[in-house]
Amino acid sequence: MTTEIAEPASKVELPSHLSGDAGEIPSFECTIRIARFVPEQDEEPHWEDYQVTMYGTDRVLDALHKIKWEIDGSLSFRRSCAHGICGSDAMRINGRNRLACKTLLKDLDTSKPITVEPIKGLPVEKDLIVDMEPFFQSYREIMPFLITTGNEPTRERLQSQEDRARFDDTTKCILCAACTSSCPVFWTDGQYFGPAAIVNAHRFIFDSRDEGGDLRLEILNDKEGVWRCRTTFNCSEACPRGIEVTKAIAEVKQALFTRAF
Amino acid sequence: MKIHQYDVVIVGAGGAGMRAAIEAGQRTRTAVLTKLYPTRSHTGAAQGGMCAALANVEEDNWEWHTFDTIKGGDYLVDQDAAEVMAKEAIDAVLDLEKMGLPFNRTPEGKIDQRRFGGHTRDHGKAPVRRACYAADRTGHMILQTLYQNCVKHGVEFYNEFYVLDLILTEVDGRRRVAGVVAYELATGELHIFQSKSVVFATGGVGKVFKTTSNAHTLTGDGMAVAYRRGIPLEDMEFFQFHPTGLAGLGILLSEAARGEGGILRNADGERFMERYAPTIKDLAPRDIVARSMANEVREGRGAGPNKDYVLLDLTHLEPEHIDAKLPDITEFARTYLGVEPYTEPVPVFPTAHYAMGGIPTNVDSEVLADNDTVIPGLFAAGEVACVSVHGSNRLGTNSLLDINVFGKRAGKAAAAYAAGADYVELPEAPETEIAATLESLRTSDGSENIAAIRKDLQDIMDANVQVFRTEQTLREALDVIATLRERYANVGIHDRGKRFNLDLLEAVELGFLLELAEVITVSALHRKESRGGHFREDYEKRDDENFMHHTMAYLDPESEAEGVRGVRLDTKPVVVTRYQPMERKY
Amino acid sequence: MSQATIPAPRSGYNRSKSGGSKFELAAWLYMRLSGILLVVLIFGHLYVNMIAGEGVQQIDFGFVAGKWASPFWQIWDLLMLWLAMLHGTNGMRTIISDYAEKPATRMWWQIILYASSLTIIVLGTLVIYTFEPCPAGADPSVLASFCTAD
Repeated sequence: MTTEIAEPASKVELPSHLSGDAGEIPSFECTIRIARFVPEQDEEPHWEDYQVTMYGTDRVLDALHKIKWEIDGSLSFRRSCAHGICGSDAMRINGRNRLACKTLLKDLDTSKPITVEPIKGLPVEKDLIVDMEPFFQSYREIMPFLITTGNEPTRERLQSQEDRARFDDTTKCILCAACTSSCPVFWTDGQYFGPAAIVNAHRFIFDSRDEGGDLRLEILNDKEGVWRCRTTFNCSEACPRGIEVTKAIAEVKQALFTRAF
Repeated sequence: MKIHQYDVVIVGAGGAGMRAAIEAGQRTRTAVLTKLYPTRSHTGAAQGGMCAALANVEEDNWEWHTFDTIKGGDYLVDQDAAEVMAKEAIDAVLDLEKMGLPFNRTPEGKIDQRRFGGHTRDHGKAPVRRACYAADRTGHMILQTLYQNCVKHGVEFYNEFYVLDLILTEVDGRRRVAGVVAYELATGELHIFQSKSVVFATGGVGKVFKTTSNAHTLTGDGMAVAYRRGIPLEDMEFFQFHPTGLAGLGILLSEAARGEGGILRNADGERFMERYAPTIKDLAPRDIVARSMANEVREGRGAGPNKDYVLLDLTHLEPEHIDAKLPDITEFARTYLGVEPYTEPVPVFPTAHYAMGGIPTNVDSEVLADNDTVIPGLFAAGEVACVSVHGSNRLGTNSLLDINVFGKRAGKAAAAYAAGADYVELPEAPETEIAATLESLRTSDGSENIAAIRKDLQDIMDANVQVFRTEQTLREALDVIATLRERYANVGIHDRGKRFNLDLLEAVELGFLLELAEVITVSALHRKESRGGHFREDYEKRDDENFMHHTMAYLDPESEAEGVRGVRLDTKPVVVTRYQPMERKY
Repeated sequence: MSQATIPAPRSGYNRSKSGGSKFELAAWLYMRLSGILLVVLIFGHLYVNMIAGEGVQQIDFGFVAGKWASPFWQIWDLLMLWLAMLHGTNGMRTIISDYAEKPATRMWWQIILYASSLTIIVLGTLVIYTFEPCPAGADPSVLASFCTAD
């Protein structure tokens, strides 16, 4: 940053609601309907309803915690940072892939039960926990690291601001699998690389410092690669980071194309 | 029982763990045991930047950075370590760039740098642009880049393996590392990892507090495991409260918001930091800003219906500027509080953020069993360790630096040690103790609820051991912790299964939290002065005569400290090289 | 206490590699190009058959025979046949691979698809090239005018 900002005022008039009083946070009852599956007991998943009292600022994750901590401790789900950065708690909420920690209850219709299921297309291990290994396997296969040749420079590699901006969108990926597990192609064909792997390939293919683009394009020029994308845009809609996933896939297709002709 | 053998075992796959793995993995047979998938680690939540005196945008040098670190830590920093960190910072940033990290760039294409709290030019004259950054997701980029490079080098990960015990064996009168005991979440089985070197990189313990920027999983596992095996914990009373957590939630809004020009205001619209730090105002170190904010609220100038927070004002900044430099954190304000930062100030309040203390190490990341005896083969890096480069208050961005500099050092040192050492023989059935603990928890019919105990713990820590502390509040907290530990003995869990039993692990983690909360509070009680992140209202001044030393807390059933049985407190001198303690003014 | 060291607890996940062929790229491109061409061919076909001249009323054996006597229309129709059949077959192939979950089911659907496509393409091509516009002994009233010219 090179622009200097003017020194801000040392005192300003604030709107009255900031210094005055506002109402209490409203509370409400809601039903959470969870797909439960305990491998030691159940043949297959079944629905279970839980009634909880929640507040206006609560997220679906808070409701799950309330159930786990106060009603049934055996409810299992992954979570960590609880603010949409770590990507642990992708799940199907009311039929759509979301992060439980970024979905506010007040934004859902709480007059009906809120359904919570594990993400689709990956083997369910217990309740909302799925086996992420196939997902990470695809990620690893596209060589998600900077590939360069020749001697390393002593200082940093130079990169213009425009070149840096070229792949900015796809650097946001947190590998939560919301996109891949929202893809109808992936649901029936677990071999498909899936949007997340392609997004991470895109991040390097369009990085001006990288010299491994050809290798990655070759990998994605596969019957399980970008050509399986049917542009249904489920992935773009599911991405909690707002990455334009389908666009990134299209850009990889385009790159394959310009390379071939 | 499954037994694995590796030259180096790294516990934790955050920034420090993976940085160590990249070094060790290329040199020797290395395994990383991690309780989360590596990309879930909380390094990814760091936002603002990583400081290094690259001097890409203005004059700077590592000596100024060293001074800022020491002054920021209120002179409780080991100065030799701070010098190492500031010097190696430059290579640490360049290493990351070469690994592929997409830093923001200057118009010339170099790594861009911005201002950050406490970082100054020429020993405090004016703020300096030292923080290298990638928008406001520098930590995310570091975590991703390090994981990517672990994939590149084929590092072996054991995901969702909880390390619950450290195996130390006495060889010729000296304790040496033999390995670790880990619990596999998927199956509920215990595994023994025999190794020549063990690197602890398990992160912090923010979950002892209620309002915290830390992840649910930051329960101080590494610290507690080491402490229970007789390894001391250093400077645990120093906990950093980050000034700008989203009010009520604790979710972090980076200091970069103020680095980019954001300012703090009280309910009267006053820029109150002008009164507390006339020179650098809103960019004063975190402890000072946090205390000033808490003070504004205490004196009735807080905003909001309950007058319990202050406001972070970004409204004078251009929306395009905010979008370019702070996209993620403005989204947090919108998602979680429904506040539009372009037009409205954001409610903020201090949030528990970082443990300055931890497992004592030297500059080669070797763990110390006391003030100077190294435990051969045991290393620690990152937030779990206390080198001590942060002293009593860490400067913003220095944690990302810490994990990279000392993670690298730990990885190299662990591999070098493993190359010249043999496996230490495992004791007979080293898993017995932890297996018994787990089994008794899993089958317990106790009536106490994990969440209830944890909530009571977090409430008392927030109320009594936060920004302002007194003898009385700390004693009260200790009493409560003692009752909570009694209740914990009677804890019951719902989940009796073997597979993915997170209920069981939450119970184990609660045990860690209770143990560490006690250490934090006892250490705080012992330090009858105010310094950095530790502020005693009954001893408001820094007291170099009596307290210019590190606190070392040992688990020792025979001893008693500050009226608490089982803890022994000792002190360790601070390494001073070239900077004599001065009054800390900004 | 020392037991055998065991390997990593989870085995890898192996993708069946198609070996870096350009087939999928070609197929993807083919769908788009053939689509554009087919729009021209089909609308041209519809115009000539149904709108030009006397319109729909003109179509009879003689009309078709008349068209196929010219190499221009032979190539036109042949192109239309091949492009449409391959376009459709490839489309069906993607639908089958998207929706058939079991490999065995997928294989059977594909066998049926390829067999039927092949039959139609071969038959169609044969018809276009071996078409006899003036079969001997046919009712002259239904034949094209040039059959009865002399």
